[in-house]
Amino acid sequence: MKPAKSTKPLYRGLLVALFWIGVWQAASMLVGKPVLFASPLDTLKALLALVPRGDYWLAVAGSLGRIALGFGLALLLGLLTGVAAYRSSLMKTLLSPLLTLMKTVPVASFIILVLVWFGSKQLAVIVALLVVFPQIYFSTLSGLSSRDSELLELSRVFRVPARRVAWQVYRPALMPYLKGACASALGMSWKAGIAAEVIGTPLHSIGEQMYLSKVYMATAELFAWTLTVILLSLLFEKAVLWLMGRVG
Amino acid sequence: MDIQIVGLSHRFGDKVIFQDFSLCLREGGLYGLTAPSGRGKTTLLRILLGLQKPDSAEISGGLRYSAVFQRDCLLPGQTPVEQLLYVRGGKRNRRECREFLAELLPGDSLEQPVEELSGGMQRRTAIARALWAESDCVLMDEPFIGLDPETLRHTMDFILAHRRSRTLLLSTHQKELLQDYGLEWITI
Repeated sequence: MKPAKSTKPLYRGLLVALFWIGVWQAASMLVGKPVLFASPLDTLKALLALVPRGDYWLAVAGSLGRIALGFGLALLLGLLTGVAAYRSSLMKTLLSPLLTLMKTVPVASFIILVLVWFGSKQLAVIVALLVVFPQIYFSTLSGLSSRDSELLELSRVFRVPARRVAWQVYRPALMPYLKGACASALGMSWKAGIAAEVIGTPLHSIGEQMYLSKVYMATAELFAWTLTVILLSLLFEKAVLWLMGRVG
Repeated sequence: MDIQIVGLSHRFGDKVIFQDFSLCLREGGLYGLTAPSGRGKTTLLRILLGLQKPDSAEISGGLRYSAVFQRDCLLPGQTPVEQLLYVRGGKRNRRECREFLAELLPGDSLEQPVEELSGGMQRRTAIARALWAESDCVLMDEPFIGLDPETLRHTMDFILAHRRSRTLLLSTHQKELLQDYGLEWITI
């Protein structure tokens, strides 16, 4: 019997997930050393052992809080500077070298510099901010520049209040760009943030826990933490995009 | 206040569009503007609206304009009612706005996104918007494009009913269809 049309994607998604979990299982059996390559079952066991522990949730809350803070600050700063650069070409020219620098400097260099200058406590905040900021800035600039210039002419002739022009002409032009940038920047903020934490090992962080897993060769635990990061990153992305969908 | 244009000269590349052109639009006058296409009807309207700078001219200022542009220039995804409220807004106006639009558009189209309306209905939305806005003078660039003769007459009646005492200038290449409306014709 064929499944109904509406359940087909779910059905197929489950099969795909099962397939890759099977590949993972096969690979772990092929390697044959749980210390090097944990199986799906080992990982699940490790995760179930972690979840009831208080320090698991402290690490989750710590990393989530810092990365979300960095992302939020980058969103705010990126929007503000993007708007400023759209309005003033001097501002755009002035910011250009800084943005090029931020885009090209390796994340590892940032991590080490921030560690030297500010220590490890707020490391993930600053690293997430540095990684996300250029993307928000450039998408804001492109989004605002994609506005319909004839609608702006019309607004000028009819003397439409600036606030209304911003909401009705600029916002719809900006949002698709901003959503696209956020979708990719969200994943990057997690990758860079966690990498920073592994290097800086601040207290109560996923990165610190991962580092400890490495020290104790607890591969299953490392996999469990990785799974945690994937889930957090997905949830965070869904939440942010949902919020943005409410704006337009 | 009358609108005075004195000594308008404008060229586009090496093509001379206006050479020492002068024009006076009396306050409250009703004008039709005709010219072969490419002779600067749109340019003249854009210069009056302050959207384009002529090479040289003296134009009396201080008036508030509303206009129908060459393109409809409607806000994407918004309904006709919202198009009008954009230029003269406030929630309290919504009812009045609906009644105003209902004279020109079928009732069920008023709350549909403009993309779902026909080209002619979008054009009429742009016309209604120009008349709904607060202004001293209404300029219309080929407002009847895409309208059949019957709709054209209905739309023209609507324009005359709602221009109040404002100066109105509309450009058209359908002069013969507008003979009975008492327009003063300007030919470039």
